[in-house]
Amino acid sequence: MNTTPALKAIHITKYFYEPERFQVLKDLSFEVRKGEFLSLTGKSGSGKSTLLYVLSTMDTDYEGELLIGGEKLTGKTQNQLAAFRNEHIGFVFQFHYLLPEFNVLDNVMLPALKLKKKSRAEIKEKAYGHLKLLGLEDQALKPANKLSGGQQQRVAIARALINDPSIIMGDEPTGNLDSRNTSIVFDIFRSLSHSQGQTIITVTHDEDFARNSDRIIDMSDGVITG
Amino acid sequence: MLSTNYKIALVHLTSKLKQTVVAVLGVTFGISMYVFMNSFMTGVNDIQTTLAFTSLAHVRIYNDGPANNTNLVEKVYPTVVSNIRNARVVQYTEGIQNSGAILSLVRKQPEVTGVTPQVNLNVFFRNSGNKVSGVLSGVEVETENKLFNISQYMIAGKWNDLKVQSNGLIIGSGLASLLSVHVDDNINVLTSDGFTKNYKIIGIFQTNVLGVDKSKAYLNINAVRQLLSRNQDFVTDLQINVQDFRETALLVQRIAPVVPYRTESWQMSNQQLEAGSRLRDIIAMAVSLTILLVAGFGIYNIMNMTINEKIKEIAILKAMGFSSKDVTTIFLAQAIVIGMIGGLIGMLLGFIVADVVNHIPFKIGGLNNLPMAYYAHDYIFAFLFGLATTLVAGYLPARKASRIDPVNIIRG
Repeated sequence: MNTTPALKAIHITKYFYEPERFQVLKDLSFEVRKGEFLSLTGKSGSGKSTLLYVLSTMDTDYEGELLIGGEKLTGKTQNQLAAFRNEHIGFVFQFHYLLPEFNVLDNVMLPALKLKKKSRAEIKEKAYGHLKLLGLEDQALKPANKLSGGQQQRVAIARALINDPSIIMGDEPTGNLDSRNTSIVFDIFRSLSHSQGQTIITVTHDEDFARNSDRIIDMSDGVITG
Repeated sequence: MLSTNYKIALVHLTSKLKQTVVAVLGVTFGISMYVFMNSFMTGVNDIQTTLAFTSLAHVRIYNDGPANNTNLVEKVYPTVVSNIRNARVVQYTEGIQNSGAILSLVRKQPEVTGVTPQVNLNVFFRNSGNKVSGVLSGVEVETENKLFNISQYMIAGKWNDLKVQSNGLIIGSGLASLLSVHVDDNINVLTSDGFTKNYKIIGIFQTNVLGVDKSKAYLNINAVRQLLSRNQDFVTDLQINVQDFRETALLVQRIAPVVPYRTESWQMSNQQLEAGSRLRDIIAMAVSLTILLVAGFGIYNIMNMTINEKIKEIAILKAMGFSSKDVTTIFLAQAIVIGMIGGLIGMLLGFIVADVVNHIPFKIGGLNNLPMAYYAHDYIFAFLFGLATTLVAGYLPARKASRIDPVNIIRG
């Protein structure tokens, strides 16, 4: 495994102002290597989700510096960050958040159509490839909201992968799944990080899930405890 | 990227078809009412204009009477105070003397479509004991008809008979009933100079302008000259029509300095007509813009609802890398589609409503049904206003959508 940092957080500090000023992240610095499968754990309120959204570039209200793939992202505009996310970051959320009015294939293709680096036919072929890998090729033309929870989560993963992002971020990606689907999702993540070299950062409550990943960052009251 | 945004917009529009239809209907009603109100008001204005121009020419040249020359001393010596009582103006020419020259000058003007000479005088029409004062108008039969289309208002007799019957008189319907006379009866005309002559009624007209119908009679211009013992060049009024009745100012500017008589456009003599027509336009504009505004609020509401419903999807789109501009485009495109479809149907519906109302009977003042005008520019303006309204009504919610912070939505 190589040691180039895929993501670097330097002195990340963040405050909440509602209902009163409260320091939720306290001067966090760490690196994530390329191809690493990282779990963020901790009790609720420990700041792990907050940290994930800072790392995801969606939350820009923090102090410190964030670099992904050597590129400094702190201080960029929202639209620059949106374009960056589109190309370099894939998201998997706890509640699958597919677009219910589109079919499965369109959902998967959407980020690539936005990126516009490939032709529609290429994107379609690739989306089918991902769906096949995740055992969903026969669901491709169904409306997204007609699928089961586990299937929807796999569609969300296929969508996160469509632009070959360097980092995949998950916010409790297995939080809503039964143990069988949890292990399917875990295996997908594992193989992505080990054979594709994609970096994975997930927030999870699931101790088994965390234990089996490459590295755990455990948080408590806004500081890293392990 | 654009096509992706438009595809999302299209899916949003078609997945909640009911909402889309309601929004489209809002625009449709707004625009159809705009079209209808403006067509109706323009129709009313056109009718008003037509009625007014049955007895009114676009430009009139006449002798305005003598200038006020009662105190010549003050004119020559302005500093001298003088007082002259019971002044008599001796030199006073009646009517237009060199009408032939003026006629040919006027006919040469490019925008003039018709000109007719008249000899008008105030007379008494008498039928035994009945005396009614009115205006006797000596006219050139053909050119008069070309300008004022009088033959269309004849309810008895023929207009062209005036040409051949030198003692034939055509009188207004009101005047006929005041004098209790009918076609082929005789009446007596008494001029202010005391001449009297009997004429035979050969026709009756009804313009529905009450004042005209009750007081006016037409006679061949040569017969009037004869009655007044005037020569063949004598004329009191020259009535001129131009191509566009609104564009009289230039002609007046050109003619007035070279003609030694008063040259007056209809706007100068009838400002109340112009005012009425403008006021109706303003009312139509106010009503239809109000309707469009209400329709705009409808669209605003529906777009706002849509955005609240789709707030999670918007957050996801932004997380996936769609920029604020993309989100604005997605929702603004929906508003534009709603505006376009609503506009097109609205123009059609507006035309249908206008056509139906146009067929409603309305038998007052010579009308048979409610007036209506069909002008392309009313429809184009309606469409553009509708589109502008939807753009504004769609832009505000779209901007709100583009400002959604995905972190707040996704974290709950």
